Amino acid sequence: MTDIYIEGVSLSITWADARRNLTDLIFDTVRDAVDDAGQDMAAIDSVVLAAHDLVDGRSLSSMVTAPAAGAYLKDETRYADDSAGAFAAAMTRLEAGHNRRTIVAGWGRASEHDPDGFSHALFDPFFGRPVGLDELAVSGLRAQRWLQQYDDADRTQAIERRARQAAANPRALRDGGMLQSAPYPIQHGELPRWADIAVAVVMSCEPTSVKVAGMGQSSDPYQIGDRDLLAMPALRNAVERALADAGTSVADVGLVELDALTGVDDALSAEAIGLAPHGEGLGYVARAGGFNPSGGSAAGYCPPAMGLTRLVEATLQLRGTAGAIQLPEVRRALVTGSSVVAAQTHTAIVLEAA
Amino acid sequence: MSARLAIIGVGQTPYKRAHRDKSSSDLLWEAAREALDDAGLDITDVDVVIQGVAPDALSGENAVEKSAITGVGIPHMRVNTGGVTGSSAAFAGASYVASGRARAALVVAVERMGQSVTSQAAFNTIFDPILEKDFPLTTITMAALRASMSMRLYGYTPYHWAKIAQRNYRNALKNPLAHLHKEYTIEEIMNSPLLAWPIHKFEACPMSEGACAVVIANEDLAAARNPAWIQGIASTTDSYAMGDRFRREGATLVDLVTLRMSAERAYLDAGVTDPLHEIDVIELYSPFSSAEAMTYPALGLCEASEGPAFVDRQGEDPEMPFFNPSGGPQAGNPVSATALVRIAETALQVRGVAGERQRPDVRRALATGQGGATQFSTVCVLGTQRP
Repeated sequence: MTDIYIEGVSLSITWADARRNLTDLIFDTVRDAVDDAGQDMAAIDSVVLAAHDLVDGRSLSSMVTAPAAGAYLKDETRYADDSAGAFAAAMTRLEAGHNRRTIVAGWGRASEHDPDGFSHALFDPFFGRPVGLDELAVSGLRAQRWLQQYDDADRTQAIERRARQAAANPRALRDGGMLQSAPYPIQHGELPRWADIAVAVVMSCEPTSVKVAGMGQSSDPYQIGDRDLLAMPALRNAVERALADAGTSVADVGLVELDALTGVDDALSAEAIGLAPHGEGLGYVARAGGFNPSGGSAAGYCPPAMGLTRLVEATLQLRGTAGAIQLPEVRRALVTGSSVVAAQTHTAIVLEAA
Repeated sequence: MSARLAIIGVGQTPYKRAHRDKSSSDLLWEAAREALDDAGLDITDVDVVIQGVAPDALSGENAVEKSAITGVGIPHMRVNTGGVTGSSAAFAGASYVASGRARAALVVAVERMGQSVTSQAAFNTIFDPILEKDFPLTTITMAALRASMSMRLYGYTPYHWAKIAQRNYRNALKNPLAHLHKEYTIEEIMNSPLLAWPIHKFEACPMSEGACAVVIANEDLAAARNPAWIQGIASTTDSYAMGDRFRREGATLVDLVTLRMSAERAYLDAGVTDPLHEIDVIELYSPFSSAEAMTYPALGLCEASEGPAFVDRQGEDPEMPFFNPSGGPQAGNPVSATALVRIAETALQVRGVAGERQRPDVRRALATGQGGATQFSTVCVLGTQRP
């Protein structure tokens, strides 16, 4: 299979920047990624986007945004799913020989978006919506299920560490942002901090310092009642496939950048993918050195940009250019991204220092 | 194409104004089951599912495609590229198979616009809210701009638009899945209500619901079945701003430069050098008959200036490809699925299983996709010959 590398990355997390419209945010970020790759647009042969009409507020958002992302007279497509999934799809295009160098970009502008309304309308109009389901409520249900079985003695430490990591991340949202009301038993410090995010990656078949070593994807059933909210089999499945694709195991991963809605989801996801024993996820995220040094959703959150955001953070760590949150000696990283509805579909990517 | 791929299964629901008795999940599964049965596969035999859904706003449900996922494990991805959603989804499935990460991909697209109180209100949010909101720009007036520009530049008349529409409606009479089954005279078409000059109602597409699915497989799976080999696929995106394209040299609003670029790349892969004589059947994603005329020069079938004469010769010149044996989008336009329907219909023709609408001796067929403000274009060439 063709080897794929990351040439350039860029990440912008802001809030309600009145000086720039959405296409400005996208253009600036993609331009930075192409510059970081040391390329010009003539060297780019395709563009793969992750954007959602209902986040962007248009019935076909890529009409306006695709050219801003560099798609003028180029092969371009758009996924209405998480950007790690778009990255995985772009991998298949390179591996198939359809493209040689690709921009992958994702964005979401929460300051002009109604996360609660969008999330509520993801659920079945007859059975899900009348009982008030939205994605945050599903995180609450997951946390309740966990609390029935396990002790949360490490919870305060986990919350405090998450906040410290986000505060130290030079790319995290500094001012503004939006927090929703926390449904029981989610705590205020575990909420995602909604932000305006644009993120871009240039990937190619030319060797660089960061290699894409593996990819895995999976999905869960739509109905919440049909899911195992604690075991998260689709997440586990995607991660296992990515690790197998890379010929490695979770024990050999020095960094995990995991996309999850809340701090509790971080901990329970860590359990699901085997980073921590069941019941010890909160303790793990409170103490583990290589877990979400970026701060996860506390550093800024808006789908469908999150998977690619995690991937950019991991790339910077592997390059040794993550700034104040740089970890020592990171050689291999695991990245995940999840999509609606309530983390129903998952993509996992394994990156390695080449 | 770097790998040998084929379409080995096709499934479609009927297309109609609204499927009031079926959920989105029902429609997706109805088409998917038929495609899987046609391929002789089970859902567990496919390694990835690519779903195509365009505006969520039309259905009143967000991310309707997710409602059809019933089990754990198979990766699902949703593509949304507007009008080309269906073909973009097919190309995504082709990439997964060509990469070796999937032996077979199920591609399924659904449209639920019948649930919308007014689809135009949803469609109209595609335009710029600052610069275009006070300008009466809709998907219809957008097409009318191009039609009137074609008349001025190349000499098309309302008769040409009506003649193309008449042929599409006539072809649809043989397609039991088509939304509209009625033959019109040219006079009836030209005298139908004016939507936006020069476009009349019967030169436009209907609002349709329905789902379409195809199974794309690698050479190992395809060789033992009845395949439509994928000989060439290509996709190209243009600038959004129509004002920038009015006078762009060689690439005006009616030159469809992205369709031309896609056709050139797909022809190169397929080994097509004389499309007029090497392609037997063409399924065009042209929701207006005037838009269909713009595709002929972009696909290399004639010079732009010869377009009206090309339309005049249709039905009389046996050397020409046969256009839209299914009836095309004028006989049914489930927007999210329409570009996939074009691919599915050409696959049926190449496989020789298109029923009453089957054309004789189809060795190569072409399907187009068009989306946005004629901004996104796709071309897919299928054939009986393994590439």
